Amino acid sequence: MERRPASLAVRLTVSIGAVITVVLLTFGWIVERSINNHFIQQDVDELNAVVQALTHTLATLPTNIAPAELSERFANAISGHHNAEYRISSEDGAQIYATPGSNLDRFARIAQPVEKITVDTVGIWKDHGQTFRGAVLRTSSDGSPGADMLTITVATGINFHLHYLESFRNYLRIITVAACLIAILATWLAVHQGHAPIRRISREMRRIRSDQLHVRLEPDAVPTELVELATSFNGMLERLENVFRRLSDFSGDIAHELRTPITNLKTQTEVALSQARNVEQYREVLYSNLEEYERMAKMLSDMLFLAQADNKLLKPELVEIDLEAEMRMLFDYFGAWAEEREVGLELVGPQVCILGDRLMIRRALSNLLSNAIRYTPAGGAVTATFGVESTNVRVSIQNPGPPIPAEHIVHIFERFYRPDASRKRSGEGAGLGLAIAKSIVEAHGGKISAGSTAKATVFAILLPGTEC
Amino acid sequence: MKLLVVEDEAKTGDYVRQGLMESGFVVDLARTGLDGHHLALTGSYDLIVLDVMLPDVDGWRIVRALRDAKSSTPVLFLTARDSVEDRVKGLELGADDYLVKPFAFSELLARVRTLLRRGLAPAFQDQLQVADLVLDIPRRRAQRQNVRINLTNKEFALLELLVRRQGEVLPRSLIASQVWDMNFDSDTNVIDVAIRRLRAKIDDDYEPKLIHTVRGMGYMFDVTHTD
Repeated sequence: MERRPASLAVRLTVSIGAVITVVLLTFGWIVERSINNHFIQQDVDELNAVVQALTHTLATLPTNIAPAELSERFANAISGHHNAEYRISSEDGAQIYATPGSNLDRFARIAQPVEKITVDTVGIWKDHGQTFRGAVLRTSSDGSPGADMLTITVATGINFHLHYLESFRNYLRIITVAACLIAILATWLAVHQGHAPIRRISREMRRIRSDQLHVRLEPDAVPTELVELATSFNGMLERLENVFRRLSDFSGDIAHELRTPITNLKTQTEVALSQARNVEQYREVLYSNLEEYERMAKMLSDMLFLAQADNKLLKPELVEIDLEAEMRMLFDYFGAWAEEREVGLELVGPQVCILGDRLMIRRALSNLLSNAIRYTPAGGAVTATFGVESTNVRVSIQNPGPPIPAEHIVHIFERFYRPDASRKRSGEGAGLGLAIAKSIVEAHGGKISAGSTAKATVFAILLPGTEC
Repeated sequence: MKLLVVEDEAKTGDYVRQGLMESGFVVDLARTGLDGHHLALTGSYDLIVLDVMLPDVDGWRIVRALRDAKSSTPVLFLTARDSVEDRVKGLELGADDYLVKPFAFSELLARVRTLLRRGLAPAFQDQLQVADLVLDIPRRRAQRQNVRINLTNKEFALLELLVRRQGEVLPRSLIASQVWDMNFDSDTNVIDVAIRRLRAKIDDDYEPKLIHTVRGMGYMFDVTHTD
């Protein structure tokens, strides 16, 4: 079994939550980086200030200075830079001066000396729980070329910067998590709220029972996005209603149509049995019954055919059919009957061909033709006209005769529909012929229509044509 | 001629058997698929009438078993469903013809006779004669009491069918199918009109009458029949 797709709320919440998290994390990262950069710049500025002060002091040193004096000068040179530590050594590595308590020897040994302190040339190291940013700078003792080269190692403690960054990062994390949670909750609420119209529609749908198929959803009362759903649902309901109505009409019709012959059979048999009769009379009853059975059997098989058509079970076996030749064959078949009714048969138009099921097409044409002959007054003529309309083939079967009123003609293809309610059942079929013709034409992807004027009644079928 | 009827519906089975027996056949009736299967494979029949909707062993299996056993006994199957698949399936399995329920007994009888005749060597007679009616098949001419009768093509075809199957009741649907290739029922009385016209030409002015109406069933060509 295929898995059910994830719920819409979950999908939306997860994707929106992910986007918000990514945005917040990126934002936090950028802020953190820029703060960090700012701190580095600050440190570099401080280090440069220290170096400047030291170089100045170095340049103004008297040549023979007492060590105590030297220390004092250097200590004073950088007053105001509490965090700064430094160490000055000669080229051979001998320490000239170092900030008391500082421990810059190791860094001075391993770090690559640089010409200038910039953001890119400072380094970081740790020592006894303190973190330092600093650099090793080579410079001449008095600023003049050729003088003794000195190595100045400067560093500034950045623990408080790091603490600040750390707490900022924690803060950011809390904010991110909180914001994500809030955003996800808000999304979920919004989605849930957004689905309220769907639930309302669903409630409305649930209320529609099989006896209320006429009820429709109100497409104007739903949000734009759901209009299509409502319209589609209404469309489905309409199709269902139609089929449902047709089915119940159909079973009603069947019951009605069978009631008459069964009543006849029953009455006839009961009356026949009510007293002793001679063989001839019994035989008469049986014959009469046989005719009634025949009619019922024929009606049943016609109804089965229509039921198959309704269930899309008619599968035409397609062969090339020359409709004109078919019509001539039918003329031949119905010829004697038409002649007896003094009805002429005429054929007009070019040879046209279709792909179709020969038996079915013959049956459809036969139903239309026999219908036309039946309603043509003596002396009239039925005309079958063939024509081509773009890729389609048109066959019209026209007969003169009393017009069929407009209110009847719209129902003419309905099963059991008989315009004249009082028309006799006998010899006229069960009123299924035109319905069968329609089913056949539609199973072939064609259309059937009927029209009636004071002069003539025309049944026309339009079928996809093919080369002859 | 010995026939086997396999039909589980009691009344249908009884009446089909009675009807066939009264038409001159020897009939065995199997009321279950199992009996039918057994009889079909062990007995010697000229034709089997088989209902396909049987509760135990269905008709398809019987046909298949029969054909697997290289038996060429003609099989006419009866189906309640008028579906193309059923028909195609039956004919593919080796059945020879089918009838859809409800069927007319006259139709069943006509089909049975057609199938039985199929096994015989076709009679290529140039001339058919019944009483004083003579049909010249190649020239498509008919004469009665030595008087030439003008018939249209279809009238001749109709007459030939009746003569070839004299003594049999031919249902209207069978006539429509054989003469005009119309394989469906029509609401019209086309066949009656055609017969009436044929009668006017070959029967009205002559004795004895040869074409007889069998009420509720169809038409029969016979010399000795009395309406």
